[in-house]
Amino acid sequence: MLTFVSRRLVYAAITLLIVSMAVYAIFAILPFDPAALTCGQHCTPLVIRANRIKLGFDKPLWEQYWMFLHGIFAGRTYGVGSAAFHCPAPAFGYSFNDNMCVTELLQQKLPITLSVAIGALILWLIVGVGLGILAARFKGRWPDTASSVFVLFGTSLPVFVTGLFLLIWVSIKWKIIPISFLGYVSVFSDPIGFVKLFILPWITLAFAFAALYTRFTRASILETLGEDYIRTARAKGLSEKKVLRIHTFRAALAPIVTLASLDFAGLIGGAILTETIFNLPGIGQWTLRSVYEFNLPVVVCTTILAAGVVIIMNLIVDMLYAVLDPRVRI
Amino acid sequence: MSRNTARRKVVASLATVALAATVAMVTGSVSASAATKKLTPQTGGTLTFLTHSPRLDHLDPTRIYTGRDLAFETAYFVRTLVSFKHVAGPTSTSLVPDLATNTGVPSNSAKQWRFTLRPGSKFQDGKDITCADVKYGVSRVFDQTVLGDGPTYMINWLDIPVDKSGSSIYQGPFSSSAAGIAAFDKAVICSADNRTITFKLGMSVGDFNYLLTYPVVSPVQKAHDLGDKYDLSPEATGPYMIKENTSAHLMLVRNPNWNKSSDPIRTPYPDQILLNYGLDQQVQDQIILSDSVPNAMSFDAPLPTNLKAFFESSSFKGGKLNEDTAFVGYIAFNVKKMPCLQIRAAMYYARNAKALLDYAGGPTYNGSYTTSLTSPLNTVDYAANGVWGPPNPDWKPEGNVAKAQALMDEAKTACPSEYKRVTTTGVTIDVRQSSTLTDTIPINKAAFARVGIVVNYNPISAGYYPTVMNASKQNDLSNSGWSQDWPNASTVIPPLYTPEGGFDLSQNTGEAIYPAFHAAVLKAIGTSNRAAQAAQWKALDKQAAAQFWVLPTLGIKTQVVWGTGVQGAYYWLPQGEPDYAKLWVTK
Amino acid sequence: MAVKIRKSRELSSSRASTGPIVGRSPKQIAWTRFKRNKVGVVSAIISVGVIVLSLLAPIVTRIIGVDPNTLHLDVLDVTGVPTLPHAGISMAHPLGLIPGTGRDLLAQLLYGSRISFMVAILTTSLTLFIGLVLGIVGGYFRGRVDAVLGRITDFLLSFPAFFMIVALSTPMVDRIQQTGIAKGNGARIVFLVFFLSFFGWPYFSRLIRSQAMSLRERDFVTAAQAMGSSNRRIIFRELLPNLWAPVIVFVSLSLPGYLAAESVFSFLGLGIQPPASTWGILLSNATRFVTTMPQFFIIVAGSLVLVVLAFNLTGDALRDALDPRNDR
Repeated sequence: MLTFVSRRLVYAAITLLIVSMAVYAIFAILPFDPAALTCGQHCTPLVIRANRIKLGFDKPLWEQYWMFLHGIFAGRTYGVGSAAFHCPAPAFGYSFNDNMCVTELLQQKLPITLSVAIGALILWLIVGVGLGILAARFKGRWPDTASSVFVLFGTSLPVFVTGLFLLIWVSIKWKIIPISFLGYVSVFSDPIGFVKLFILPWITLAFAFAALYTRFTRASILETLGEDYIRTARAKGLSEKKVLRIHTFRAALAPIVTLASLDFAGLIGGAILTETIFNLPGIGQWTLRSVYEFNLPVVVCTTILAAGVVIIMNLIVDMLYAVLDPRVRI
Repeated sequence: MSRNTARRKVVASLATVALAATVAMVTGSVSASAATKKLTPQTGGTLTFLTHSPRLDHLDPTRIYTGRDLAFETAYFVRTLVSFKHVAGPTSTSLVPDLATNTGVPSNSAKQWRFTLRPGSKFQDGKDITCADVKYGVSRVFDQTVLGDGPTYMINWLDIPVDKSGSSIYQGPFSSSAAGIAAFDKAVICSADNRTITFKLGMSVGDFNYLLTYPVVSPVQKAHDLGDKYDLSPEATGPYMIKENTSAHLMLVRNPNWNKSSDPIRTPYPDQILLNYGLDQQVQDQIILSDSVPNAMSFDAPLPTNLKAFFESSSFKGGKLNEDTAFVGYIAFNVKKMPCLQIRAAMYYARNAKALLDYAGGPTYNGSYTTSLTSPLNTVDYAANGVWGPPNPDWKPEGNVAKAQALMDEAKTACPSEYKRVTTTGVTIDVRQSSTLTDTIPINKAAFARVGIVVNYNPISAGYYPTVMNASKQNDLSNSGWSQDWPNASTVIPPLYTPEGGFDLSQNTGEAIYPAFHAAVLKAIGTSNRAAQAAQWKALDKQAAAQFWVLPTLGIKTQVVWGTGVQGAYYWLPQGEPDYAKLWVTK
Repeated sequence: MAVKIRKSRELSSSRASTGPIVGRSPKQIAWTRFKRNKVGVVSAIISVGVIVLSLLAPIVTRIIGVDPNTLHLDVLDVTGVPTLPHAGISMAHPLGLIPGTGRDLLAQLLYGSRISFMVAILTTSLTLFIGLVLGIVGGYFRGRVDAVLGRITDFLLSFPAFFMIVALSTPMVDRIQQTGIAKGNGARIVFLVFFLSFFGWPYFSRLIRSQAMSLRERDFVTAAQAMGSSNRRIIFRELLPNLWAPVIVFVSLSLPGYLAAESVFSFLGLGIQPPASTWGILLSNATRFVTTMPQFFIIVAGSLVLVVLAFNLTGDALRDALDPRNDR
């Protein structure tokens, strides 16, 4: 087990390093000058040159990448003299548009994205898996039909259609869940405000994801129900409830856990549409905005972060699998 | 207020929009704002602003330059030495003292200006504001590498020598040579009691005190200056100070060290000012329309699609105003790429200005056809130049196809290669990415196609101005807009038509008439007799218009809407915004 | 278990009526099963119909008598909404007019669908091609090649694809324009197609690889190997014909996926740019009018949902028909 974990850890670290290199290289060999975008209106050549030096864009690519890596572990200082400033480790760069270190900004954005992702995950697991079980249990009867209609719309309605509908009608026009302006509140300090702020984004995301899980759970359970040991259990005279609860559900759980972990990982940064529609200043919205503004350090940081989360989640899933499923030998 | 005002409005980004105008629509129509009921202002409550922008452009006084930022920040937390009058109507463009006790005493034919500070004004930490703080604040603009984006007039005007490359020998407080510091100390002088500041200029500048309405001349404590980072939480001198500045909002609370007796201008009624960033525009409009947050004012003009709901429906109970701004939209020709005057003129006459004006709300909401690069709101310098818009009998709102065709036929022989390019591969227009492009591009393509001109569009989503101001990246035409910094065409014609003005997108320096034009511009800047100066500006405007260095579009109108809880709003001409300093809320 | 019963009844009845047992190829079986799924058949007809309409957009619009580019500016009010009754829906304009410019919505939808479908079809084809080639190579040859391909697949799968495409859009489109491969929207289409398939192929390749691996162990492949057939012959004559089932299902499910993806990128302002028209551009345009003219949004969103739904249902039906284990 230990060797397996350490091997996987090393592998994940190497992947992350390669990803960061790839991302850095892709963004660094751009056809235009990132320094020119650090100042808006009065971008004189003098200012551009100064900013290029300040941000290290004057250095060769490998050196820039080294400074970037170095900054992650040791922090980084920009500029010289009394106007110099320091980004403490882990420093992912400096965002000129915000006059802030990227890491500082990340600290503001991450809780919001995590709140969106975790809440949505819980909601879609409850709805999706629940409906899936119902559909499998009452296969061919009305709950199955109803759930398949749900699945159809869930998979076919784009997030921005459901999101805009919820926001404009449910929230603003009908005032069912009035829009909140208090900004992010932590679940611990104000649980009601927290739920009010995030419930619509959760529903939006959960609607899209739950459909997949309903379909997946249903198929997974039906497949398990076809297995020999279930037939044996039934033959033994076990009640259908018990068959479902004890034998089927547990076996169907492992793939759902895998799927959920990876979907969750994808949402860190991947909830771009939802965050944009509901104006949640999370990682996704931040990235989109930085893409519009061409805010290079932010885009590099969030891309590496998003890839990192996927890699780490993969690692966790692999290990979980080893624990959950005794058939996996390591 | 400069070019960035452009992104204030969706309409302005579509400033591709139309041409010349019904002449003297000078001041804005008196609209709902005037009808604000006479209620007694109440103290307390939270005044909320909503904007789709991700942030304000700048909070650092040295770097604030856009109209909305100026109006907002000077109303709440940055005091300037001199201010525009905070009243409704045209008298608001006159100056009143703010941190100073006077509006400036010029001497030596306006080459030297003296201001005395008002006693009792303090920073947010309780320290008295002194002349040294103002001087330090002024010094910051010289470091353009750290503190860019603000108005740079001071660098050109102060009597500080320049080096061989033409840049000032003083490089700001962070990195200056001893010679530079000495030169700056000679140009900006504090009296012995640290209360009177004297500016020595290298030339006569009769309207120097107008620059002092900009926070670029305002006090900054040297000990608290964080360079670039000062932009995050500048120290307040006004009635409010910054409590939170996050990516979601800016929250202002009362500044305990501000006192009413030392501030003749501001009436801070609300306890708190909350500016929410990054909303979807449709959402923003719906919030105001449905009065979900009664104490909210929209910081952006409503979407054109919602104008009717706000202005023509009785179901909207909140407040609204719809006024002319000094913003003039235009499309700059890159004259180096389009040297053929006939083609430039043909594009002007072929354009369907009426369709574009109507698209975003017509004369009621969108604006009026431009008749001069100087805004009609500048009553001194404005005159229709006779080439642009209705005063020109050849011009028609929906386009004069016959005239344009005649010009194109002329161009066929006068500049055959450019004619061929324009009618085959076509010209490319740089535009800022915007949702309205889906509609305006087809309208434009159809209009130009009437005389065989092919237009292509290059939508730029990031770094629009740095891109088009780079001569190697700029295409044949670039969409743009400008607003005077104060009511003098010296803040319009030099910036837009001469490279040293800083915003010349037309690349016109190679034109045959340019040397004479340039000399005349320099002469006008140095003319201190205001009436004589105005006459020169009018002549220059006419001369440039006939060259079609730019294709004028619209004088833009602005709309502001707010919920039922916001009171005391009126339109403030100097920055083309509501007067934020006078607002109050009914909790 | 109703289906199972029906199936056995059908089997017995066919035995009874035709007498001797008639062998049926898997294709025939699948086809019979597919035909029985009414929803699937209707969806397939809609899907094919929409593609045909889209391909023949110029002819179709001429027959209906609408034109995508004619502006009707005179019938719009100050906010751009058509002042005609029913938002301009009439005999002349079956789906009404687009606010802002007064162009015909039906014609715009038809013409817009061409770019959307082009992106979806090109991406699907490219993904299919890369996935098939690399999947077969990995699954059939195994060994070091497979190990390297596996690593690459894992590596690509660890990239958040949607995120990467958003992040890369501006710089990569600029880059493509600079190399001169394509200009403007051409470059954006190239970018979308290339990157969507770049991040899309690993999923498909994994599926094909596992199929190829199991096929490789089957008797007919072993037999072919024993007979001394070349690898090329085995791949083209033995493996490929047996992979059509996953290919068909993949195509029918990824077409709507990429169709929706195009609309999302356009919605975010990162995809194809106007004046070109795609469903994503129409949708993002419609959101501006969602309160003043909801018909516009409903028609465009409805069309997208309808097409995606039809494709998805067709894909499901195909999968059910092709998968012998599936008993639904």
